Amino acid sequence: MVKKIEDLNYYELLEIDPRASTQEVYRAYDRIKKVYEPNSVALYSLFSPEETAILRQRIEEAYRTLINDPKRKEYDMVLRELRELPEPEPEAQRMPTYQPPPVQQRPVVVRKPAEREPFLGNETRPQPAPSAPPPQQAEVPVPEQPRPAPLTITEFTGTAIRAVRENAGLSIRDVAGITKISERYLGYIEKEEFKKLPARAYLKGFLPQYAKAIGLDPERMTGDYLRRYDAAMER
Amino acid sequence: MIELQDALRRKEIWAVGGGKGGIGKSLITGNIGISLARLKKKVLLVDADLGGANLHTTLGIGVPEMTLSDFLSRRVENIQDVIIQSEIKNLSLISGAQDFLDAANPNFSQKTRLLRHLETVDADYILLDLGAGTSYNILDFFLFSDQGILVVLPEPTAIENAYRFIKSAFYRRFKKVVTHQGIKDLIDAAMDQKNTMGIRTPYDLIERVKLMEREVGEILELEITKFRPKLIVNQVRTKGDIQIGFSIKSACNKYFGINLEYLGYVEYDDSVWQSIRSKRPLAVEYPYSRPARCIERIVHNLLRKEQLTLSTLY
Repeated sequence: MVKKIEDLNYYELLEIDPRASTQEVYRAYDRIKKVYEPNSVALYSLFSPEETAILRQRIEEAYRTLINDPKRKEYDMVLRELRELPEPEPEAQRMPTYQPPPVQQRPVVVRKPAEREPFLGNETRPQPAPSAPPPQQAEVPVPEQPRPAPLTITEFTGTAIRAVRENAGLSIRDVAGITKISERYLGYIEKEEFKKLPARAYLKGFLPQYAKAIGLDPERMTGDYLRRYDAAMER
Repeated sequence: MIELQDALRRKEIWAVGGGKGGIGKSLITGNIGISLARLKKKVLLVDADLGGANLHTTLGIGVPEMTLSDFLSRRVENIQDVIIQSEIKNLSLISGAQDFLDAANPNFSQKTRLLRHLETVDADYILLDLGAGTSYNILDFFLFSDQGILVVLPEPTAIENAYRFIKSAFYRRFKKVVTHQGIKDLIDAAMDQKNTMGIRTPYDLIERVKLMEREVGEILELEITKFRPKLIVNQVRTKGDIQIGFSIKSACNKYFGINLEYLGYVEYDDSVWQSIRSKRPLAVEYPYSRPARCIERIVHNLLRKEQLTLSTLY
């Protein structure tokens, strides 16, 4: 069946199977994004710049939707109504990924979209007293706003990074699934618990991965964050 | 190995084209032929580049006495008379025309006569080395073959021509399955990228045809899925160049709705021009060079009906 580009669904757009895992979605996105870059040689003479721009925008949309579990479920429902997706044995094959109980993993476990807003509000408060012993550095200011505006980031602090992540509708676990960085370390990065993070060299490898997964400029975020890290560690 | 032997049993015609000149079509055809011959299969190479034949040179055969134009112009009756044995066992060649200007544009009956004779030749594989451009002759040979192989370089010019080639090839294919004159005219008009009817992609064309005759539109849709050209990226220098093959595949799928198969790539290496300078085939002169190995891998993919997967990049 031949389809117009505009009619491709998100899975077709990213050239993945509807059952693709979060990491497969990310990989596909990372690859397809490069194919439809403004100066991509493979598009030469085929797509006009406007068409490529529209395609790129749709690819972003596709990624943002499929990477986010509640949104993806909603989207799958729509596709099923359009008969573009077969009825699956509900949840069965994808459930195991989300099943295992997190150890000391408190943030953003609730997945019902409706509860998201109030939950986020509460979530910031218990922060200073997690089960893990708070180290010296833990008192880095935590903003009270339930959802800080992510667009006005001047410096990539742990909290800013977290705000961007939440704004993208991603849980720590989603990011861990994409980047294969452990949830624990991602949490430490956000809380700026520098002492608990592994050696600087590892951190330097984690940060760009993390930045890419949530759609931030890897170089800037890594630079900023490491500067804070270095300053804190010197003391 | 057993499956490989089975795959090798039947006679197949493979055509190598690509739209642009100087992208290594002859080199790749010649060396694919040598690889097949080494697998103990009878191979006939046909230099169908009627305007600028030089397949014989990549095989190290001097200017041949008998060429395809002798056959086309009926100076010889039997195709056997223009087949030249190469010094490689199991590999023979029909050289392209050298002089005969009219041969560059054989008419319909000449083409069918050639294809009919080719069917009778004792060979397991017949490889057609097509010339540059998108003339009807080239497209017809490409469409007639069992496997149509496109060669492209990781450069805008070559890619542009490859897309033009793909488009011309399957619009020509469309025209062959359609009898309705109005639709034929529509397809002709759609070939012009700047047509006034707003037909830009094959999708637009099919929509338009469906308005005229629904069933015909559906037949064309089916034709698109049956059209599966193969792709080889030649002169690859970086990993990014290898990636371009996958990108072209993706773009073709989204734009044309066709499934291009990415057969493989050939690395850029000095051994290629050294072998051409010495007028000896690459696979003979430098059998262990990287380009020669790449071509071997392509032959294996062709025989096993496989293609490159993304995992090659990781």
